[in-house]
Amino acid sequence: MFELTDHPIDSAALRARLTRPDAGACVVFEGWVRNHHLGQPVRELHYEAFDVMAKLEGNSIIAEIEQRFPGCAVFCVHRTGALCVGELAVWIGVASAHRAVAFQACRHAIEEIKRRLPIWKKEFHPDGASEWVNCSAEAMARGPQPTDYYARQAGLPEIGEAGQEKLAQARVLIVGVGGLGCPAALYLAGAGVGQLTMVDSGKVELSNLHRQILFTTDDLGTSKADAAVAALRARNPFVQFEAVNAEFTAQNARALVAGRTVVLDCTDNFATRFVLHDACFSAGVPLVQAAVHRFEGTLDVFHRGGGGGCLHCLRQNRGIAELDTAAGNCAGGAVFGPAVGVLGTMQAGEALKILVGQTDAGSFRKTHLINLLDCSLLSVTREADPGCPVCGELDAMMPAVLSSEATGGSVTLDTEQMIALENVRTVALLAPGEQLDSARAAAGTLTAAIGDLARLRELIREEGNIILTCRHGIRSAALARLLRTEGCGTVYASAIGSPAIVSKSD
Amino acid sequence: MPPLAPDLIHVRFFAVLREQAGTSTIELSTAAATPAELYAELQTSHRLTFRAELLKVAVNERYVPMDSPLHAGDQVVFIPPVAGG
Repeated sequence: MFELTDHPIDSAALRARLTRPDAGACVVFEGWVRNHHLGQPVRELHYEAFDVMAKLEGNSIIAEIEQRFPGCAVFCVHRTGALCVGELAVWIGVASAHRAVAFQACRHAIEEIKRRLPIWKKEFHPDGASEWVNCSAEAMARGPQPTDYYARQAGLPEIGEAGQEKLAQARVLIVGVGGLGCPAALYLAGAGVGQLTMVDSGKVELSNLHRQILFTTDDLGTSKADAAVAALRARNPFVQFEAVNAEFTAQNARALVAGRTVVLDCTDNFATRFVLHDACFSAGVPLVQAAVHRFEGTLDVFHRGGGGGCLHCLRQNRGIAELDTAAGNCAGGAVFGPAVGVLGTMQAGEALKILVGQTDAGSFRKTHLINLLDCSLLSVTREADPGCPVCGELDAMMPAVLSSEATGGSVTLDTEQMIALENVRTVALLAPGEQLDSARAAAGTLTAAIGDLARLRELIREEGNIILTCRHGIRSAALARLLRTEGCGTVYASAIGSPAIVSKSD
Repeated sequence: MPPLAPDLIHVRFFAVLREQAGTSTIELSTAAATPAELYAELQTSHRLTFRAELLKVAVNERYVPMDSPLHAGDQVVFIPPVAGG
């Protein structure tokens, strides 16, 4: 609850209102009027609020905090009117079951109040002079300046002012806020990317802390994405951060990847890695991927058109479950902290080079193998597999597909949209070596060879709405866009790959 | 680092394979004509249980198919899938 008052704040009465039987901790912050400001003596202050807006904003700040820190009760009272030195200007109390969350929520509350509340103060100096100061504008003006923050980085000739501006325009996505995601995010935030979005559905656990360097014991039990963003914001206030407390899935993949300049794969399993890779590949967004096993790790940058093929070339269509079992190092696996530290840091390095345009011909066609036991680094050249069912044919089609991107109109449908579409026929696109498992396919599903555009055009003429599906959801989207440019307005693509399309050898 | 012996194959193990082999690198003289044959030989000599079909192999710093030719002096790296983070 948030209140404005022009009467002296009674902290004892407010504290009593917070009392509740399930609370084991109460943290109180009191903001006092002091006798000096920016080197000038101060005699008294007048606070003036834009009343309605201040109450609305104050209450929404409290609501956000109570949602972010479940179980916390938060009260905040801000003074208006004339205050003398030593008087209470703002009072914030947080009651909760445990102290760590209470401290965090209280700290967060005062920072947001200072930053967002439309309140001004007029300072009266002993010499009789006075001046109005907007609290949040003042906080910005008094705080660090971007040019100072980035001075030691923009001084690099490879980056410079131009590179710094490119970084400021960048929208970066990090999927997985763990051993890799923490160091990667620290350096990207420090470098000053414009926007940084952190995706993770997990909560901070004690066994994370030896390697997940954004978190402290205060964060235990809280959302990883939220805790990471709070820690990052404290390091660089000039970056716009976003926390997404959700699992990265085929359902939200496209929306999360859309519009990104570069994406970092900091996940820990092949199932998610393939979904993320396919969404990036489909959208043409470079993907910086690292993976770690104990003391060793791999680093790859995948980029459509970069010449190094895709994750499917590298993994040759092996089953995802099979790969995850073979890797055998997901949740619970032992890991050397510096190994994820080095690999996550290298991910940030690759991402920053992409953003400032410091890549070369080899950037998108190498696997780097790092071993911290013998400090070795070996780089292996990747090449696109001409027979790759994902990028091989797509690359051949790409000029036409890219030129059609501008035509607009959503061609990919999620599951709900597909159900809502009436008079529809599903067409499974099959690459050589693939077949349709009709038991798992939607009733009435037709098949077409992946490159058989003539048959697709015929089906579009004969049937009503057509939904194209394929094994990974990439070729179907590309083909649907291509056919749209030919005027086929009734063709759509499934946003996710079809589990009914299987390899004949499976 | 001394120059690699030209008459031997130089093998590097990565991740799980390094753990199973108990070493990062070995050098050997072999009759194996391909990485697949070499891996089969090493499975016996170094008790490697990892399935060959899930491996990637690099010869002289380039990924190659498991049935590509092998020559004396080649540097071979066997790379199992790695996914942790």
